[in-house]
Amino acid sequence: MPIRDEFASIYREALPILLIALGGGLFAGLVLEGILESVERFPGLLVMVPVFLATRGNVYGALGGRISSGLHQGLIPPKLEKSERLVNAVLASFINGIGISIVIGILTWLALFILGWESAALIEFVAIMFIAGVLTSFVLIFGLLALIFAGYKYGYDPDNLVGPIVTTLGDIFGMLFLLFSIGIVEAVMG
Amino acid sequence: MMVPSGSLGSWETKKIVSNMFPLLVVLCAIVLIAGITLEDAEEMLNEYGILAVMVPTMVDMGGNLGAILSSRLSTRFHLGTTELDPKDKVLWANVAAILALAATIFTALAVGAYLLGAFLGFGLPLVTLLTISLISGMSVAVIAIVFSFAATYASYRLGIDPDDTTIPIVTNVVDVFGMVIFIGVSAIVLGL
Repeated sequence: MPIRDEFASIYREALPILLIALGGGLFAGLVLEGILESVERFPGLLVMVPVFLATRGNVYGALGGRISSGLHQGLIPPKLEKSERLVNAVLASFINGIGISIVIGILTWLALFILGWESAALIEFVAIMFIAGVLTSFVLIFGLLALIFAGYKYGYDPDNLVGPIVTTLGDIFGMLFLLFSIGIVEAVMG
Repeated sequence: MMVPSGSLGSWETKKIVSNMFPLLVVLCAIVLIAGITLEDAEEMLNEYGILAVMVPTMVDMGGNLGAILSSRLSTRFHLGTTELDPKDKVLWANVAAILALAATIFTALAVGAYLLGAFLGFGLPLVTLLTISLISGMSVAVIAIVFSFAATYASYRLGIDPDDTTIPIVTNVVDVFGMVIFIGVSAIVLGL
């Protein structure tokens, strides 16, 4: 393949996906700007933000990759119906996604403690991450599955769908639920 | 197509979790550096809210570019079409395409942030935003390219399937660079 074609094909394939991710990222940024106001009540909150966002990609990107490999290999049926493999993979993602959220709360608190920086209570960090983690898991897992299966039905290669879906949904819902869960914890803990 | 081995080959809940969870914890510890950088920059973000709007994209985009390049490189390795030869023009076409994508996206990020800032009333001049976005964005793109080559080549040599571990590690490490460079460049450009 001539070099110029190779260049053009990579650019053309990736650009729309990256522009979608940019839109999701800017929206997430607006929410982050709103979260800045809560930082005074929960010092150290900002440490969790990039970790929480990156983890969404790691957990649900892996689920998406697994589902799309499974579809290619005919291991799982191409629609939302009860398949043991699908149920197992979804359950594992819930455990990973919610479990790692709790770990983020603990690691953040530890890091702030070691640095000697001002920090909210451990239970506050863990509660914020737990609530945000549970809500994000539901939306991302079922949103991802629905979009992959719908895409597959209409002839899109799931391999090309997973990355942008996860980044965009993860940024948007991750930040929204983080803001929501900060509000809940603030209301409960006073 | 290659049948995935390792964690991808299993469809048992317990096995998926026990394979993935330790890696997730390691990745968290890596990205924690980005979090600490963000926390440390809180004052600057409070003063220039538009920078906070740019943060998620700056953090994600380096990783996205790294992931695109890594998966293309690992596919080429799987197909046996390449050695890492500096004279290989197709490799250079890949690198050029990633740089062109970065230039486009980070220009769009600056323009998007400028418009949002103007609309919401906490903006910075377009030239300032372009300077910050392009200097940090292009630096991250170069780092993403270097890491993608190094990691894909290393995992190929070591016989590890890059899809399993290399790509997540590359994207998370590049995310950290994205944050650190963005905060550093912003502070310099704004003269703080």
